[in-house]
Amino acid sequence: MNVAYFPGCSLHGLAKEYGISVEVVCKHLGINLNEIEDWNCCGATAAHSLNHELTISLSARNLAIARDMKMNKVLAPCAGCFSRLKGASYELRNNSVLAAEVGEIIQAEPPVEPEVSNLLQFIMEDQGLNAVAEKTIKPLQGLKLAAYYGCLLTRPKDVVQFDDPEQPISMDLILQAMGADTVVWAHKAECCGGGYAASDTDIVLDLSGQVLESAQQAGADAIVVACPMCGVNLDSRQEAIAAKKGKKYDLPIIYLTQLMGIAFGYSPAQLGLKRLLTSPFPLLQSKGLA
Amino acid sequence: MHNTADFYHVLRIDQTSNSLREEIKEHCHTDIEMCLECGKCSGGCSNAHIFDITPRKIIQLIKIGEEAKLLKMDALWSCVACQLCVDRCPSSINIPKIMDYMREKAYKQCVPATRPNVELFHELMLGSIKQYGRVAEALMTVQFNIKSKQYTKDAEMGIKMFFKGKLNPLPSRIKNVQQVRRMFRNIPAQREG
Amino acid sequence: MNNRKKTALIIGGGVAGMEAAIKIGNAGYQVLIVEKEPQLGGALNKLYSSFPRWENPQDLVDDKVKKIEKCSAIKTMLNTVVTSAERKEKTFIVNLDSASVSEQVEVDAVVLATGFEMFDASVYGEYGYGAFENVYNSLEFEDQLKAMAGKDKSELPQVVAFFKCVGSRDRSKGFPYCSKICCMYTAKQAGVMKDLNPDAKCFVFYMDYRATGKEYEEFVRSVIEEKHVRYVRGRPAKVLPENGKLMIRAEDTLMGVPVEVAADMIVLASAIVPNAKTGELAEMFAAKTDQYGFIEYDSKNPVQAGERVFFAGACGFAVESLGAQHQGAAAAADVVALFNQD
Repeated sequence: MNVAYFPGCSLHGLAKEYGISVEVVCKHLGINLNEIEDWNCCGATAAHSLNHELTISLSARNLAIARDMKMNKVLAPCAGCFSRLKGASYELRNNSVLAAEVGEIIQAEPPVEPEVSNLLQFIMEDQGLNAVAEKTIKPLQGLKLAAYYGCLLTRPKDVVQFDDPEQPISMDLILQAMGADTVVWAHKAECCGGGYAASDTDIVLDLSGQVLESAQQAGADAIVVACPMCGVNLDSRQEAIAAKKGKKYDLPIIYLTQLMGIAFGYSPAQLGLKRLLTSPFPLLQSKGLA
Repeated sequence: MHNTADFYHVLRIDQTSNSLREEIKEHCHTDIEMCLECGKCSGGCSNAHIFDITPRKIIQLIKIGEEAKLLKMDALWSCVACQLCVDRCPSSINIPKIMDYMREKAYKQCVPATRPNVELFHELMLGSIKQYGRVAEALMTVQFNIKSKQYTKDAEMGIKMFFKGKLNPLPSRIKNVQQVRRMFRNIPAQREG
Repeated sequence: MNNRKKTALIIGGGVAGMEAAIKIGNAGYQVLIVEKEPQLGGALNKLYSSFPRWENPQDLVDDKVKKIEKCSAIKTMLNTVVTSAERKEKTFIVNLDSASVSEQVEVDAVVLATGFEMFDASVYGEYGYGAFENVYNSLEFEDQLKAMAGKDKSELPQVVAFFKCVGSRDRSKGFPYCSKICCMYTAKQAGVMKDLNPDAKCFVFYMDYRATGKEYEEFVRSVIEEKHVRYVRGRPAKVLPENGKLMIRAEDTLMGVPVEVAADMIVLASAIVPNAKTGELAEMFAAKTDQYGFIEYDSKNPVQAGERVFFAGACGFAVESLGAQHQGAAAAADVVALFNQD
């Protein structure tokens, strides 16, 4: 299967291991990732915060290139990029005045054609749980995981139209298909603080702290993420959260594709597991998975 | 128009204006007259506990045209755009979109941001996109720390990240960065004055 | 000319259907009640108490059943459903199905009294219905009340929260309409909870309370003032299990601040929706339904749904037992008048 691939800045930077493992897993599933040629940053929180036309235009340029590559589907594993691309696509389809303006700005036909999927949606709708189960040669037995969806993989519901925004289940099902247990927990769809990691760190410490607390209370061994912002906030801020709360969590924050890679038989080195700040190795080794 | 920004007096709601509601309806495609005044938006808001004005009150202020107060509010700079409010609203009122609209308006009018660092971070990010077409988190963080005078912020974490191979010193400039710059130019002026 | 006695078919043996049957039967016409459940009484059978007089709903059911048994003109078929019907000028040929037999009957008028169901609250993932333990809809909570009665209060929940308007007054996840009876039964349930466990803290989250019937306002006030149920104005936003409790996040809209309640049990006043079979039956008898599936009324004939077809009770719209009896009696009057004129 051919699909346009939008890695976004984080998968080349702070969440390199997410990018690496996405590529490994997709290749294994027989998916050809065609990176959008010369893609630009989606604008993330900054663009939508300050300039509506800019945020739509930045995504429109990327979608237009995907269209010109004759791709009808774009895979955006970063939930932030996904949200921008999907949101832009939704507005271009539903607001013809805006679409015309954006066409002028990017000097191209407004790209309404390509569908945009996040990783969970792509696995559920284009691959299926059976494909994941069939490829599993090293079941994730004994792992008790908190599937964390955060905000933008399922919200806003009218735009994303995938899974339940309050009690999402798709990632749980994918993990279960690989033999893992998932916990029922409160904060699976609450916010980690998103784009405030650098600019107003206290917000992230507060919200990510609640997520860690909730996962631990539910008895999870680790939190599984499919978004680099969630991943980086929860992983890299654990020390600061511990200092603030006086309570250490030491919960590994693992990208979904890293666990898929393990289940599919890849080595931790091939999946960038060493790059995680909170080491997942004691946990994985205790279950014979690393 | 008398000053209704601070409620030290009895508010004459017969003298308030409906124009902000209409403006928001036109630009945000959302009608705040559908508000049931239930507070569900504010009860579950990720950051309502630190907001100066909760989402439900924002809607009330729009009804009475309290634009000046809205443009100055801290909520504009502490909203995490988590989309919980719009999904839970029984009338699907698009509060995140209203937040974006009001923030953009405040920014254009050079109303001082209550959290200048948040505004600064956004500006640096857009600057990087304009210059390179992409963003390098490391470079941006250094720029941010210098400009916000927090020279040692996250330094320890940054070192760890560097050794984990997560920090690229420079973003890779895209080939057609000229096209991205042209897009920035094609968009109407971002700030007045 | 057919010598057969005029017969009315009542579909649904809840309080509305029973009332219609009693009035028609006592006026001298034949009545056939078809009830899918193994007993008469409908939703009242599930209730622990009633508003606004704190009565035992079973007394009302027993009274109606006694009157039905006393009236030889009324025949009751339990565990039975209507499978098809055909209109023949002034009569209907109706096929009935029960576990033991299939039967065909000829009737001269029909009263639809199929009642209601509760909206599926699992649509509200934020409230965790179906996902978390101890989150019930209001009908399920009546069962809980029955189970709690007689127990030592140390075994009962200490903090119970009631959410109104779950599916009602919600154009996003439910329906724009107000389900009309939730304000009253929620006050009743919170009041009963306080009676069973005076130490319990009960919170009712409300947008506004609608007490628009005789003795209703006084009833709600007594729950607040005498039973000390705490009313919090605001629609809850999220339930987050925490340390074995259900942490509720809401805004107290009077104070304008976010508030939390750590509850042991949550009761969701789910919207009233028509019984799932209503649409099918309405179609069989050419009765109109509205956009929500309730039987549509005619402003000039409020309990008539079509030619020789009448309705009563919650299949027309949410209604309390008192109103259901009024409507049952009104439908009976229409049937009797029709039969008298035939």
